[in-house]
Amino acid sequence: PCVWLRSRSTPVIVLLYRFSQCDREGVDACYPSLVVKLLYLCQKMSLLGLFNFLRRSLQRAEATLTDIAGFDGNFAPALAVHGPCVLPQPVQDGNPAPSFLDSIFWMAAPKKRRTIEINRTRRRAPEKLIKVKTNIEPCLECGHPKQKHTLCGYCYAKVRRETGEIRKQIFAMEGKPLNTPAMETVILYDGETPGEGDKDKRVVERPRKRPSWFILS
Amino acid sequence: MRLTLRALISHGRVARKMGLGPESRINMLRNILTGLVRHERIETTWARADEVQFYAEKLIDYAKRGDTDEKAMQMANFWLTEKDLLPKLFKVLAPRFENQSKAYTYMARLPNRENLDRAAMAVLEYKGNPFPPLFPAKRENELTLINQLLKGYREERAQLSGSKP
Repeated sequence: PCVWLRSRSTPVIVLLYRFSQCDREGVDACYPSLVVKLLYLCQKMSLLGLFNFLRRSLQRAEATLTDIAGFDGNFAPALAVHGPCVLPQPVQDGNPAPSFLDSIFWMAAPKKRRTIEINRTRRRAPEKLIKVKTNIEPCLECGHPKQKHTLCGYCYAKVRRETGEIRKQIFAMEGKPLNTPAMETVILYDGETPGEGDKDKRVVERPRKRPSWFILS
Repeated sequence: MRLTLRALISHGRVARKMGLGPESRINMLRNILTGLVRHERIETTWARADEVQFYAEKLIDYAKRGDTDEKAMQMANFWLTEKDLLPKLFKVLAPRFENQSKAYTYMARLPNRENLDRAAMAVLEYKGNPFPPLFPAKRENELTLINQLLKGYREERAQLSGSKP
């Protein structure tokens, strides 16, 4: 513990050491001389001199303490004996960069061979089998199988082919690309003439018989 | 109290991502829509057809305003990359759907594409197009078994009722 004493000119530091009960006699002898010296120094000498004095006095105090406590001087162990090492020693010559693949302690590996029964139950589980489709029905027009929510593939292929042929004809009529007229279109087959509502429409003639599934609505 | 990170979790987000980004998606849809206006029936993947259907119907709504409307012309100019389709849109498609209010397009699913990707395909068309219909009209076929049996039953009933009195 330290006590700061302030005077007008310089601060004075007085250090009080707490000693044990039995050591009080040794210290009390030098105590009055310490105070006298401090008072003398703060009047006459500089701060540097004051610090040097304090350092020396601390060293002396430390020496007296060690004498009182019973240490010889150097703080080496009194007795050293060979015995088994209790604490874990760090490995001196380990690999400079041990890769994780060398270690066999933290890679997952199967413990046992999977039996054929377990394999079969996993491979044949319901979620791994192909699902049965119940939404297949025959097309009413052609009889080919079709899914309930889709168009019949065969019937649509017929429609698509005919649409392609019509478009080829339209392209031939237009001549060049990007030449669409601002008119409706009507498609007529062999032997058909434009009707009442086809007056201001462009006519696309298809040189074949009208297919049965293409009825004029 | 929100316990999830908004950016990383996409629960409930319904908007589709297509192409390289939002701009790429709009460009792609614009090309498909131009093709639809030109050919009036196109075949694409189901997701693209679903997205284009919305834009196709909105385009018709804008076209119905007439070609003198500034906003309608701007929209049509943006969405149709081939400019020879602008007169077709305003003079052919808009009058065709004068009396309809909502459903101008028809989308039907097709069997999956034959390629390795087995993509889900759909055909998208404007109603009233000149091409052969996708859904052939239902005709009662006289030659089916049930119809032949019913025809025989009706003839027998007529014979019995004729012979009785």
